[in-house]
This record gives sequence, C-alpha cells and structure tokens, in this order.
Amino acid sequence: MVSEEEIEKVAKLMKIEVTDHKEYVEKVHKMIDYFDILDSAGVEEYDFSTKEVPLGELREDKHIAYDEKLIEKLKNYKEKFIRAPKMI
Amino acid sequence: MNLKIPAVQYIEDVKNGNISAEDFTAATIEHIKKIDKKLHAFLEVNSEAVDKAREIDKKIKSGEKVGKFFGMPMSIKDNICIKDSKTTCASLMLENFIAPYDATVISKLKNEDAVFVGKTNLDEFAMGLTTEFSAYGPSRNPWNTDYVPGGSSGGSGVSVSAYECLASLGSDTGGSVRNPASFCGVVGYKPTYGLVSRYGLISYANSIEQIGPMTRTVKDCALVLNTIAGEDPNDSTTIDSKNQDYLTDIDAGIDGKKIGIIKEMTGEGIDSSVLSATNDAVKKLEGLGATCDEVSLDMVKYSVASYYTITATEAGSNLARYDNLRYGYDFPLEGFEFNSYISKARQKFGPEVTRRMILGGFVPSSGHAGKYYLKAIKVKSKLTEEVNDAFKTYDYLISPTVPILPFKIGEKIDDPVSLFLVDINTVAANLTGKPAISIPYTISNGLPIGIQLLAKPMADKALLQAAYALESTIKHPEVPI
Repeated sequence: MVSEEEIEKVAKLMKIEVTDHKEYVEKVHKMIDYFDILDSAGVEEYDFSTKEVPLGELREDKHIAYDEKLIEKLKNYKEKFIRAPKMI
Repeated sequence: MNLKIPAVQYIEDVKNGNISAEDFTAATIEHIKKIDKKLHAFLEVNSEAVDKAREIDKKIKSGEKVGKFFGMPMSIKDNICIKDSKTTCASLMLENFIAPYDATVISKLKNEDAVFVGKTNLDEFAMGLTTEFSAYGPSRNPWNTDYVPGGSSGGSGVSVSAYECLASLGSDTGGSVRNPASFCGVVGYKPTYGLVSRYGLISYANSIEQIGPMTRTVKDCALVLNTIAGEDPNDSTTIDSKNQDYLTDIDAGIDGKKIGIIKEMTGEGIDSSVLSATNDAVKKLEGLGATCDEVSLDMVKYSVASYYTITATEAGSNLARYDNLRYGYDFPLEGFEFNSYISKARQKFGPEVTRRMILGGFVPSSGHAGKYYLKAIKVKSKLTEEVNDAFKTYDYLISPTVPILPFKIGEKIDDPVSLFLVDINTVAANLTGKPAISIPYTISNGLPIGIQLLAKPMADKALLQAAYALESTIKHPEVPI
C-alpha cells in the first residue's frame, strides 16, 4: 500500500505544484492501487524481451543545416542570444 | 455539394472534372462553420484551405502533375506538427506554439496534394479517451451531442463522422484512434508499430504509439495508409513497408481464413448490445467462409495496468521538456528559484496530464520500479508471446473495439479507474505492436458500436482485406446531423 506522503514526495520531485492538492493525491492513489493487479499476473520469474538495434542501423550522426533561422521564431531574442527568465 | 462521398470517389470526381477541389473545400469549410459550434471537432480551421484547393485546380487545368489526393480535404489531430501552424496538443502549455517543421506524415500528404482544413481537438497531450480533458473544452459525439466522441483523437473522429473532412489523421497509443472511431461510427486504423513515422508527432509514449488514418470507409483508410506508410530516417523505429499497395486486392475476401474470438474481451463487463453485435459480426465472417472459434489470452486482464504503467513512465519523461525554459508559454514572472519557477509554470497543465506526470514519476522510481514498471514490461512481453502464439493458429483476432457504448459527457470524468477499463480491448494491439482496425458495425440506442480486428505484424494489407470483407456485409446508417 502506497502512502499519500510518498505520492506527494514524487510530485515535488517532478516539479508539480497544484492548488487542489488533496484531490490530486487521492486520484493518483486510486490509480496506483489499481496497478496492484500486476502482483497477481505471476510474471516474477518471467524474463522480458528487449530489442537490440546495432549502431550501424541508426542514421548517420551528422549535422543537417536548417533552412531557416529558428531563433527568429522565438519571441525573446536579441541577435544571437535568447532571453531566459531571471532565476535566483 | 455532396460532402458525404467517400475519398476514393472524390478523387475520381475531381479527376473527371465533375467537381472542383475549390468548390468541395469551400463547401466543407462552410459546413464546418455551420456545424462545429455544436460539435467542437476543430481547435483551428485553416483559413488558407480554399486558396490551396484553388491552386490544385489550376495545376489540374494547366496539365501539371497533381498529387494523388487532388485536394482532398483532411483534418489533422493537433499533436501532429504542420509547419508554421499552431500545434497546441489541446494544452494551455502550448497555446501559442507554432511548429517550425512538418511531421513526416504531413510532408507526405502535402506531396500528394491533400488540403488540411484544420487541426482537431484531443485530450490534452493525447492523455484520455473521451476528449473531455482538452483544455479548450470537449468535442461532442455527432450521433448524440450529450455523449462523448471517444478519444484521445475525438476531434478527428467527429470531423470524419460529421462530414467535416474526407479523412483525418489521429494517433493511437492505447486505442486513441480506434476508440473514437468506434464511438463516432467511422473506420480507425492503428498500423503495425513502425509502419508509419512518428517524426513530428508530439510524443506521449514512444514505444507503443502510432499515427493512423480515420476515414468513413475501409478503402479510404487503405488509400491514406498507402501515402503515410514507409521507412523514415528521422524515426529509427520505422520499418520498410515493402511498398505495399493496400488498395490493390482489397476485395480478396477471407474465405478459408481462421479468426480467433478473444475470450477476455467478450466476457465480463461487456454491454449486452456490444456482445450481440460481436456475435453477429462473427456469424457474418463465417458466412464469408472464415472459421471462427474462441482463443484465450490470459494476460489481457493485466494489460490495462501494464499499459498505464508504461505510458505514465514514458509520459513523465516526455513531459519533462515542458518546463517553460525549453517549451512553454509567455510566463511573466521572474525572480523565482529554479525549481519553483518550473513548478509554477507547470500549473498550466490540466488535471489528467498532472496526474500522469505524478504517476510517471512514481511507478519507475527507486523502491517502486520492481513492483510496477518491471512487472508491467514483463506483462507486455508475456502478452506479446501469447498473441504471437495465437497467430500461429489464427489469421486474425476479433473483439468489440470498446466493451461498452459511448457514455454521457461528465459521466466517468471523476473516476479514473473506470475510465482505464474502457481501454481493455484496445491496448493489447499497442503493447504487442500489432496492426488493428475498428470497423463501424451497428447502432444501438442511437449510438455506434465498432468491431475490432487484429492481424500479425506487417499483415496490414491482409487486415484491411478482412475489414473490407466485414464492411461489405453492413449497411451502416447515416449520422443524424
């Protein structure tokens, strides 16, 4: 059984801040409780499959020039600099 | 102008000069203006669509090469990027996001002279199955506007059903194309994983999602798939489509084919009218020469928990980029501590996305991953094994697309677990990478019921043949709009 404190801790780590806190935690709690059904699937000893993709099958890692100045699509930029919010 | 014609007929009519692309598109836009206030299928209507159609007419008249869609009006789910147009994902977080590039599917459709009439509504970031979680308000089912149209590609389903376009593209992570197709009485297709490029689709759960067509007929679905399928260097998960023509031999029939009726999708919790429709569809398929019997897939009962665990985990990672530093909106506040700034900016996420982010942080976290995420991917693997085994005996698997009829707007919105269970018949195709289609089958109490067929990976052509065979036995009533 998962505690509400554990859910709250994760929400904080995920940088989630909500006003109607109790309602969120309750609903997430319900969802997590439902996931307990996985305990009865009997897959503990089962080995899952993975797909390996050899590096050679991936596209070449090379720079492709973009045909437009993407920076011009941003609202807060000056010349080649992007204006980010001030942080403490 | 008859907007109810299928896409394949539209193309013939424009080719033969019976109608013009401009007139058809203009009539479509007028129809949208008239009807969409009530249905809310669209988040944005393309004001340049008629001009684009006019250009195509000019190309036809001057004898220039014209793409095979001849200006066919299409709608696009608003989580697929169209260059220089808004792509909001139905979220306030991306309220003013202008896509700087075209998704691969969009480039392919543009090359074939499709005309985009607008971007359609969805559950925020495609997380939901009713379209009620759109930050811009729900879409409404054209069969009865008090009811949900399904989701997350609900706007696409509504737009096709209500003749607001000839075809649409949705995205299907756990049934998000097939569910609204079933609820709106249209065809919805989830291709084999990797058959269609996801480049330019705003990611939700990359390992299982696919872009898929929504149309009014199976032939129209094959027509759109012909264009959007194929390997893409920008998406390393794509596979070689072998240049299949999904329209050729679509009438091959299913004589001698074996079909497995999935026991776990036709048992407990199924609405009696949905079960009766499924049994009737099985009889029809038998009448066409197929052999049908029951097959059990034990892992189906754990598939919804597995699906939501995996998708929440991937969503948690994918949504991390919406921190108002990399992606976000105009947020006037400054001077906050870094974490606090991001938390405040993320208050623009709607309730379902917020819940999935918390879930996505929780289920793979240290101390919980073994109980949730690891078991979920083991269930996924075991389900895949069970389905692969079934396909050693059967050519197709069948089930109702959704075990219940469409329900009223607001009816289930506060009960996340009861909403989860609506997905039980659709998530298996995503978890196992198989192609699946929802075919509009019948109407019960004025609401549509869809039948789902699944096939082996890369057997998309055979799947469309079976869907066409089933469709040919049905006379589906017209939507009452």
